[in-house]
Amino acid sequence: MAPGGSALKEVMESNSTGMDYEVKTAKVEVNNNKPTKPGSAGIGKYGIHSNNGVYELLECPVCTNLMYPPIHQCPNGHTLCSNCKLRVQNTCPTCRYELGNIRCLALEKVAESLEVPCRYQNLGCHDIFPYYSKLKHEQHCRFRPYTCPYAGSECSVTGDIPTLVVHLKDDHKVDMHDGCTFNHRYVKSNPHEVENATWMLTVFNCFGRQFCLHFEAFQLGMAPVYMAFLRFMGDENEAKKFSYSLEVGAHGRKLTWQGIPRSIRDSHRKVRDSQDGLIIPRNLALYFSGGDRQELKLRVTGRIWKEE
Amino acid sequence: MEPRINDLQVESRVHELLDFPVHTNQISSAIYECPNDHIENPKKKPYNCPHSGAKCDVTGDIQRLLLHLRNDHNVEMSDGRSFSHRYVHHDPKHLHHATWMLTLLDCCGRKFCLYFEAFHLRKTPMYMAFMQFMGDEEEAMSFSYSLQVGGNGRKLTWQGVPRSIRDSHKTVRDSQDGLIITRKLALFFSTDNNTTDKELKLKVSGRVWREQPVSI
Repeated sequence: MAPGGSALKEVMESNSTGMDYEVKTAKVEVNNNKPTKPGSAGIGKYGIHSNNGVYELLECPVCTNLMYPPIHQCPNGHTLCSNCKLRVQNTCPTCRYELGNIRCLALEKVAESLEVPCRYQNLGCHDIFPYYSKLKHEQHCRFRPYTCPYAGSECSVTGDIPTLVVHLKDDHKVDMHDGCTFNHRYVKSNPHEVENATWMLTVFNCFGRQFCLHFEAFQLGMAPVYMAFLRFMGDENEAKKFSYSLEVGAHGRKLTWQGIPRSIRDSHRKVRDSQDGLIIPRNLALYFSGGDRQELKLRVTGRIWKEE
Repeated sequence: MEPRINDLQVESRVHELLDFPVHTNQISSAIYECPNDHIENPKKKPYNCPHSGAKCDVTGDIQRLLLHLRNDHNVEMSDGRSFSHRYVHHDPKHLHHATWMLTLLDCCGRKFCLYFEAFHLRKTPMYMAFMQFMGDEEEAMSFSYSLQVGGNGRKLTWQGVPRSIRDSHKTVRDSQDGLIITRKLALFFSTDNNTTDKELKLKVSGRVWREQPVSI
């Protein structure tokens, strides 16, 4: 699936909230040796688990997200999450009655006894968590969707890696290359114009995985530099199994960077700011470009390999 | 036979005469060493002391400068075929231009100056290491050198051609003809052994080699 930016996002979101419904079909058997709370697979909870109605009660009627303490209710008992309570101007969105400031402790306690699957079940996570541990898990779930690694605009598309690869190709027109070695030439006719917006992204298919090669101009403090670095389209643990090298040079000089690709979980900006890549001061880049130093023509070669 | 006089050479001779009255001892060696060769061979012009820390006015031929560096500046000599130096900077947050180091390297009987220094590239703190050849530019080009820093699974390598010490230390630095390491990266490379941001401990390894034999 590869619809455009915001459309895809909506699909994803409705998927994931929808999941909170669907998952309720008892999936407890999958929860064999996973780190849930000891004794949490106890009696009674199983019954609650397969009870669809309770989950619906825990869904905020306004934003449809699951509610977490403090859960509020109006004098008639209609519940509401604390975020939405701030926005409804003291009127119950269900019965229009004055909302007041009543907490629904009973529902909070009921939620505590529930066990729920991770919202990323459809992306491969089969873990089941106590209701209040679920959010924390989801923030770090290794199946959580990745955000689009395209750095130029604020692209809010998320998804698994195959989805993002298609999205990069179709929506951002990113160049895809097969192979573990590369040789790219970056050309810029007016390199003295200072702007952070100059950047390039290329994706490499290598070892059956995808890597993003970023190249960009930016100001390091006041110093104009170019930087090239690689990010792995996958999680950090797997990224560490790879290494890469980047090289620029001319006139008997060459500058080589050897590093470990960062996961695209780390934002493009974070990697750049940690300077985890090949940094070339502009003067040097222009020297390597040959000619009259008026134009940037920088050849970057490199390769990716698997560490044994 | 009278040597042929070329205007340009006369001019440069005049220039030297104007330059040198302060260092009378240099005049003598430059003029009397080889009066015929002198005209074709500007290589005989004395070199400035490559020690950049203080404003050192000493000039002379390479042998003289080597003695001077060893005796007056206490500069040490290492084997250039393979070296590994560790630079420790106790207060890297307060970096100023005065933070620098000079080591001499020997390769094939020739001597090289290895500089390591902290400087600001447009207010951004950087470290830079580079090499200069103690001799003229033509011969410098027959050598290559490499410098490497690394840590945490990363390494940064510079391979270059040493510049002659005819080029001032500052000229080379400003042309960025060497290994430039941002302070952030240098500190990242320093944190191998539970040091914190407080101290820089950067290991720079490298070597010098002759690219092709020179025809002398």
